[in-house]
Amino acid sequence: MTLKELNFQALEALAQAGAEKAETILTSTEKTEMNLENGQLKLIRTTVDHHWRLTALQDQRRGSITVNKVDLESLELAVAEVMAITAASAPDAAHDTAAFQRAKTFRKGAAQPDLETMYQRLDAFTHAVATSFPRIVLLSAQLDFTGSTTFFQNSNGVDFTAQQGSYNFSVMFSAKAGTSSSSMNYSGFSSLNLEDELLNGGSLRTLLAQADQGLAPRKAPGKFEGTVIIAPDCLEGFLYSLLGITITDRPLITGTSLFKDKLDQPVASPLLTLASRPVAPEIAPGYFITADGYEAQNATIIQDGILKTFLLSLYGANKTGLPRGANDGGAFVITPGPQCLAEIVKGVKKGLLLTRFSGGAPSPNGDFSGIAKNSFYLEDGVIQYPLSETMIAGNLISLFRAITAISQERIDFGFALLPWVAAQGVTISAQ
Amino acid sequence: MNTNLFSYKHLLSAYTELRCQENNSLVISFLQGDNTTNTRLTTSGVSARVYKKGAWGFASHPEISDKGVRFVLDTATRNSNFLAAKEPQPDIPLPHGGVTTDRDTPEPQNQLRSEDLVPFLKEIDHYIATKYPRISSRTVSLNCSELKKTLLNSDGVSAYSYLPRSFIAIGMTVEQEGAPVRLQELFGGRGQFTDLFTAPEALFSKIDWLYEHLMRKREGIFAEAGLKTCVLAPELTGILAHEAIGHTCEADLVLGGSIAGSHLGHPVASPLVSLVDFAHTALGATCPVPVVVDDEGSAAQDAVLIDRGILKGFLHNKESARHFGVAPTGNARAFRFSDEPLIRMRNTAILPGTAKLEEMIASLDDGYYLMRPSNGQADTTSEFMFGVTLGYEVKNGKLGRAIKDTTISGMAFQVLQTVSQVSQEFKWISGGMCGKKQLIPVGMGGPALKCQVMIGGR
Repeated sequence: MTLKELNFQALEALAQAGAEKAETILTSTEKTEMNLENGQLKLIRTTVDHHWRLTALQDQRRGSITVNKVDLESLELAVAEVMAITAASAPDAAHDTAAFQRAKTFRKGAAQPDLETMYQRLDAFTHAVATSFPRIVLLSAQLDFTGSTTFFQNSNGVDFTAQQGSYNFSVMFSAKAGTSSSSMNYSGFSSLNLEDELLNGGSLRTLLAQADQGLAPRKAPGKFEGTVIIAPDCLEGFLYSLLGITITDRPLITGTSLFKDKLDQPVASPLLTLASRPVAPEIAPGYFITADGYEAQNATIIQDGILKTFLLSLYGANKTGLPRGANDGGAFVITPGPQCLAEIVKGVKKGLLLTRFSGGAPSPNGDFSGIAKNSFYLEDGVIQYPLSETMIAGNLISLFRAITAISQERIDFGFALLPWVAAQGVTISAQ
Repeated sequence: MNTNLFSYKHLLSAYTELRCQENNSLVISFLQGDNTTNTRLTTSGVSARVYKKGAWGFASHPEISDKGVRFVLDTATRNSNFLAAKEPQPDIPLPHGGVTTDRDTPEPQNQLRSEDLVPFLKEIDHYIATKYPRISSRTVSLNCSELKKTLLNSDGVSAYSYLPRSFIAIGMTVEQEGAPVRLQELFGGRGQFTDLFTAPEALFSKIDWLYEHLMRKREGIFAEAGLKTCVLAPELTGILAHEAIGHTCEADLVLGGSIAGSHLGHPVASPLVSLVDFAHTALGATCPVPVVVDDEGSAAQDAVLIDRGILKGFLHNKESARHFGVAPTGNARAFRFSDEPLIRMRNTAILPGTAKLEEMIASLDDGYYLMRPSNGQADTTSEFMFGVTLGYEVKNGKLGRAIKDTTISGMAFQVLQTVSQVSQEFKWISGGMCGKKQLIPVGMGGPALKCQVMIGGR
């Protein structure tokens, strides 16, 4: 029996056990990963796993179970347990499964890793860093190929298959000279192939050069309100935080979202156009199926500062009466602006180039605070010096309203395509 | 799961670890009274890690069977051979971990199921909804988890460990001038649900406490940004010990240039400060995350990092212990069956002192009393930060207005030099999950500290 047939059998078994609606998702994954530690290639991992989630709905009650054993005996046990969990749940009329869509198979990327090329690329990376950035210490790095096949079926007739394979590279590093050491930093990117050298991927060259310049950091001059230029590596976290407290299930269901009445209204600077494009060609991995069983679509979230969609699941949409999101978010693409980064820097009277933000989880009202890591002090349009022990505080919603410039240049992370974004009104403080 | 791996001992030729593991979790969540989640997750499998000529190979497979074991041994060996051929290193053996066998008590059989737990949570939710109608949003979530591991290594070490943890998280949100203000608290710790929770009513007084603080936080002010003298409650000291010192003293980060590397044997803190990463027992009691044998098969030892202000040591796996010429401390830990062991903390704590918390607050002329942390992060420079979700300003020794969510930061070795008082009161935070490539459960503990830190604000 193939895995797809087994997944169908699970759907039938749930129906026979009394489920009024059911959903079964079986993902089979194989990852090959090369690990570098303190500049030396130390470990190769091969991991095989399954992720099989069975969900049942009965009398408006919903229960689910996830196992990683894919055989008939495990199926029988899982079905019995998920029906017990479902019966024990409290009823909620908003629970449902995705409506019928035409059966479809999605494919992206290679099926198997090229182990020899992986090794060659990683070896070339360590040598290139040693040559171009001799003061950089590579604390750790991982280059992996992850291949997966997902079968998504439900009792409304949804029948999707997605086969994906991508290379993912992440690296953590600092600079060291004598007893001086820069703050550690990290970055990474995803790609469908290894045609290019790893050092050319994402923002790596920029960040390694900045780490090298960060060996003698100083504190920002006192406390002031200034402009922050948010670097692409840092921007993605701010986007997830902003959207997480405003347009996703929890804040909209509970009514705590400050964007709950803002659909088709301004929520950000008119300079900002933000899209989530999980099935776009510029996104290497992405995803084809939403968590609740719909074919994922690209969506513009904010167009010229206007909120165009919420990112509600089927449950969230049923609960709030608002439209379901076209996707699950992520795969962010921001439209570039007319100015180059150098021009944006020239326009800053006093502020920061914020390369990494290490902060507490933002409040539900958007307040945030934390350390400006691996960042640089800006004054009179010039990058002055690398920073240490400097904190920033502000409000996410105000920050995105106060955007003053978006760069022409964007970093292609594979999983996102992001520019530098300048915004005003952030409190910057050092001892 | 208590798999006998001895039948595969003859297949372990090079240095090899063979591990079977099962992770279980049960999650039940209520949002605004609706039962949004009721799910169980079970993952299990077998992994092998092989060390040959300085190269590691690892493989994992979900089938705990003869086929699965042979697959992981063959694949891990192939990976190790590939790497050893490409990157030849001296063939120096790893140190023995100083243990032969250890077995935790097997897990109890009669555990509560969803049909028992859903009404329990529903009653808690009902209490909040009826007693506190001003709440604009509420969440009640249960997370019960288990880690079961069976290990055999080629040195002949065998071990079985079992770690159950159960937590109820309660979150409440109120509105202030149209904007949400939230406070959350985690209850529970190591043990089965029934070991930790007797009846919903037992949590009601804690919910009342949370609500009182939430209403004060609702009127909260921004902290004044800058360097401030603060009293950190024990709940914050634990995360300070973990983020600020523990990570800095992980031997892999020391080898990567952590500032701790150049401070061994030197003063890094006030003489009032002693800090230990406990293996399994501390201050006469079992720790939140007891580790008797680590995932390389080393006996877990208490690792004294700071003794009365002097930096004394680091956290080690076998390979880093060999590098530094010390015994392994038993800090090699893996979270899932498909994870390789990394150097991780276990139960990291600053030891209690002699002051009283009330007197410490009373001695503060102008500063903050910080009570509850959120997430944190560390750096090899020893610069740390963590979020603060509950705190109060202190003026002339008296608690004043609550403060809004903020973040504190500092250079750990500088901040710890400013510690002027350490309380008798000591608490563990048991719900910690540390992220370093993989997640791992950790314990974090400490007394209250009076010290100077940077606080984020306006």
